[in-house]
Amino acid sequence: MVHKSIETKYMEARDNVLRSLVNCDRRTFLKVSAAAAAAAATAGVAFPHSFQPVTVTDTDENGKSNEVFRFAYISDSHLYDKQINDRFVRSLLRAVDDVNELDPQPDFVFYGGDLAQLGAASELELGAEILKNVKAPLKMMVGEHDWYLDLGQKWRELFGDDRYSWEHKGVKFVVLNSVIEDDFWTARGMSPQERMGTVAGLDNGIQSRFKVGEAQRQWLSSQLESVPNDKPLVVFSHSPLYKYYENWNFWTDDADEVQAILKRFDKVTVIHGHTHQLLTNRIGNIYFHGMLSTAWPWPYAPQGLPELTVQMNRPDPFNSQDGCGMGQVRVHDDGLVDKVYDLWNRNPVTVSREYMKSFGKTDKPKSANRSSY
Amino acid sequence: MITRNYVVASLVGLAVVVAASSFQKPQDSNKVKVRLCDGETTTEVAASETKTQAGGQAIANKLMAAWLAKHPGRWKMPAQGNKAQQDPDAIIEKRHKIMPPYDNSALLGKGQSEGDTYGNFTKRDLMIWERETKKMVVHGARVFHNAKLLGSTISVSCDMCHPDASNTHPETYPKYQTQIGKAVLLRDMINWCLEHPVRAKPMAEDDPRLRAMEAYIYAQRKGKVLQYNRH
Amino acid sequence: MLIRHWLPAFVPLAAAVLGSLFAVANGCSSVPEQPFANQPTTNGSVSLAARAADTSQQGRMHGAEAMDRQEAELGKLLALQDWDQAPTGVDQEIWESLVPEDNEMTAARVELGRKLYFDTRLSRDNTVSCATCHDVTRGFTDQRMVSEGVGEKLGRRNAPTTMNAALFTPMFLDGRSPTLEHQAGQPILNPVEMAMPNREAVVEKLSKIEDYRQAFPAAYGREVNYADIERAIATFERTLVFLDSPFDRFFAGDDDAISEDAKKGWELFNGKARCATCHPINSSNPSGTDSRFHNVGVSARKQNFEKLAKQALDALAEDASEATLDRLAVSTDLSELGRFMLTKNRPDIGAFRTLQLRNVGITGPYMHDGSMHTLWDVMDHYNKGGEDNPYLDGGIEALALSEDEINQLVELMFTLTDSRFSGQNDAKRAEQRARAAKERPFRDTELAMRKKLGFEDRVMKHK
Repeated sequence: MVHKSIETKYMEARDNVLRSLVNCDRRTFLKVSAAAAAAAATAGVAFPHSFQPVTVTDTDENGKSNEVFRFAYISDSHLYDKQINDRFVRSLLRAVDDVNELDPQPDFVFYGGDLAQLGAASELELGAEILKNVKAPLKMMVGEHDWYLDLGQKWRELFGDDRYSWEHKGVKFVVLNSVIEDDFWTARGMSPQERMGTVAGLDNGIQSRFKVGEAQRQWLSSQLESVPNDKPLVVFSHSPLYKYYENWNFWTDDADEVQAILKRFDKVTVIHGHTHQLLTNRIGNIYFHGMLSTAWPWPYAPQGLPELTVQMNRPDPFNSQDGCGMGQVRVHDDGLVDKVYDLWNRNPVTVSREYMKSFGKTDKPKSANRSSY
Repeated sequence: MITRNYVVASLVGLAVVVAASSFQKPQDSNKVKVRLCDGETTTEVAASETKTQAGGQAIANKLMAAWLAKHPGRWKMPAQGNKAQQDPDAIIEKRHKIMPPYDNSALLGKGQSEGDTYGNFTKRDLMIWERETKKMVVHGARVFHNAKLLGSTISVSCDMCHPDASNTHPETYPKYQTQIGKAVLLRDMINWCLEHPVRAKPMAEDDPRLRAMEAYIYAQRKGKVLQYNRH
Repeated sequence: MLIRHWLPAFVPLAAAVLGSLFAVANGCSSVPEQPFANQPTTNGSVSLAARAADTSQQGRMHGAEAMDRQEAELGKLLALQDWDQAPTGVDQEIWESLVPEDNEMTAARVELGRKLYFDTRLSRDNTVSCATCHDVTRGFTDQRMVSEGVGEKLGRRNAPTTMNAALFTPMFLDGRSPTLEHQAGQPILNPVEMAMPNREAVVEKLSKIEDYRQAFPAAYGREVNYADIERAIATFERTLVFLDSPFDRFFAGDDDAISEDAKKGWELFNGKARCATCHPINSSNPSGTDSRFHNVGVSARKQNFEKLAKQALDALAEDASEATLDRLAVSTDLSELGRFMLTKNRPDIGAFRTLQLRNVGITGPYMHDGSMHTLWDVMDHYNKGGEDNPYLDGGIEALALSEDEINQLVELMFTLTDSRFSGQNDAKRAEQRARAAKERPFRDTELAMRKKLGFEDRVMKHK
């Protein structure tokens, strides 16, 4: 089979339609082209270019949509003061612009943590100032970069509790602070800045592994006590709530215990940050989806990558926003979600509930042609 | 400290002696021209300056600076203040899980014949090879993880996008680097990253930081097959 | 579920439908490049009245130099050569790969193509030839914002130069022509360009001309036919290689070939100014283009650009809605969506081809719509990080270049003009410098120096 470029295919398709014109009467023309289109469809013509629709309207056999609502997210912005690093600020601005341009507007916008880079009050204030411009209601979650300078003092002042829950359109939402670390700094005599600097480095072995911690697990249990098993549950967490790669703290130490609490629910979705990449996992009934960063992409870890993850292509460093972006979560009446990654300068990727339900057998996202190695 | 003062004092003394011996009476009789022992470098000071230790120190500093400006790279001054910020090698090595270098023990004591020195390596030889190579690699890891040492103007360090030097693919060089528009070596790509994502000044070819980083990146990919121009 | 499977198949045909609808809107010809004729261009182009009044235009149809004078000029510029050998500046292996197997270059084919290129009889009213908009004396383009065709109709896009066209695929600013041959055959049928009604009419017209009845069999062993018309023109265009510039001599090692400022410009080009990634210049690719498509924000200046993009995306996501696409095609201007109309890929929204930098000094005005008149304008645009829009290529960012650095880069760009045009190059440089001294409409120093950030104005207005 001769390889044909996309331009050739496009022009051939156009030429074919034109040649089938009988006369130039517009109505006739439209009839002819409709027939041609139908013919192509029944012939099962497949065009391999990578177009994916931005908004796919899910319909059942009756043509009814069963999406109940959607929310958007922005995550991992890692802001320095504007004079120090303008690039990360610009990326957050772009994400806010994207979210504000969504039509229809999402029910709420969720911020996935790591708003600041070094936990400084000025960084958090800068982030808060920018996020004020999000049109939809805003929900915040803390990341380790926000926390370890002053252990959450400024965060609470600006954004309130680091853990909370609420209900929305029949779904229970819980926000965790899953970046708790055992004290590694006191024995070393570290200053707050040193502590924060240590936590800010991904690949040093000094900081402790993330955990939810017993107190918070108890809190979680109590929040979920009155929730029936069949109620859809969405848990927001900065760390992944499973064990992916310990060296980079793509890890929650007490993941097993947390998953045990979530085990009884039929439909649990975990939306997490920290990993700065397209990431998908399923453990039992729990579906895990990562959020993109606005600031920079991480490579995939050398081991531990969940099987369900279809990698995103390696980013091009010339484009500092490649592999980054924001995203959306579409919640359906079956209590499950489609996770949309709105990657900048790429087609959006949807990891659908069909894909998750089938353990990756159907509705697979397009494979990367340039994966990590 | 004390030794330094003696050195300074003797430098000043030398300068003064030279000044005396190569005395040039300037217009203003209150000024003295002081010449360094290289016979060329000079500076002009008030006569009173030559009489105090502080003054002498100032003169010595001036002459030294002038000499260094004329002979770049001849004398590497210790970095001011960076010592405190730089963790020692042992800590870097442990923290960043540096790959161990190749094990050369097979070469121990294996000269072709008894007492043959050529090709006959001792434990000490192997240690020297390893220690020196490791130091270079470890320094690379140090710079790689340190935005200040890199000279980043936006506080970005390499490990932000390349934790543990991942996703660097040094085994694929030389290659046509699409971002650069020509065929390059790994160090050229490091410099490109310095200029763009890191927003630092690109480093000179012989900059020890650049060479050390290249060493670290290669070290972390130990055992990978070379595949030049792999994209 | 059914619809989901249907959709990918439908989409390219939707493109076909769209293309056809453009044709329908313009009277049943096929595949126009710009569907909406007679829309006025934005500031800068000469009005029809002014053109009529300008007596220096005597004998100039649509502003072009007379064909015979162009041919004479070309004779001075190009020597005959053995076209098996790569022309100066092109790698031999690359050259061989550029010439298609079914269109080997022979003297007969070059000559036939040359005749066709300058032949206004290829247009409906015998006033427009390829050379009208790709004029030998005007940088092988027309040095206008957008081009003018039969009936003084204006297009929507700036005409790229035919110089060095041999080196690229795909062709057109949205890259819809896969080959040089294919491109050659498109403007002939475009109602706002050469306006022939269909291929058969072209073949019929040429078949009546004795010269062509002889030349086609001599060149291709076949009677006049459309595919060979395309081949012949493409063959002639392949001879238009102009890669002999002061820059080339500098690149080869002659340090005196360009000024110190231009050399600094070359360093910036490869460094701080970030040009080399989309505009690489090396011995295998001397043209200064990556042959890819980028949204650098030029289309974002059109007021309804984002609305159009949204409409197009929504339309394509919905069930097979011909009616929506139909409505869109007729009532809006989708031309600004660029490459997207071909691939339906989101990154291609508002994306246009990276054009070559060769001879850029004499092929203004610049950008896909010709909206930038000087290279200083181009530099100002890039320096501030393009124009913010949701589809902006993230590789475009503020550069913080100083005025001196901008001047050095512009100086470099003028060294890329082939020495055979050095007189015109100098004149253009002076003209542009004078114009840039008076106005710099795209300059925004606050954005360039990162005092204000991209997207800041768009976002911080709310609340």
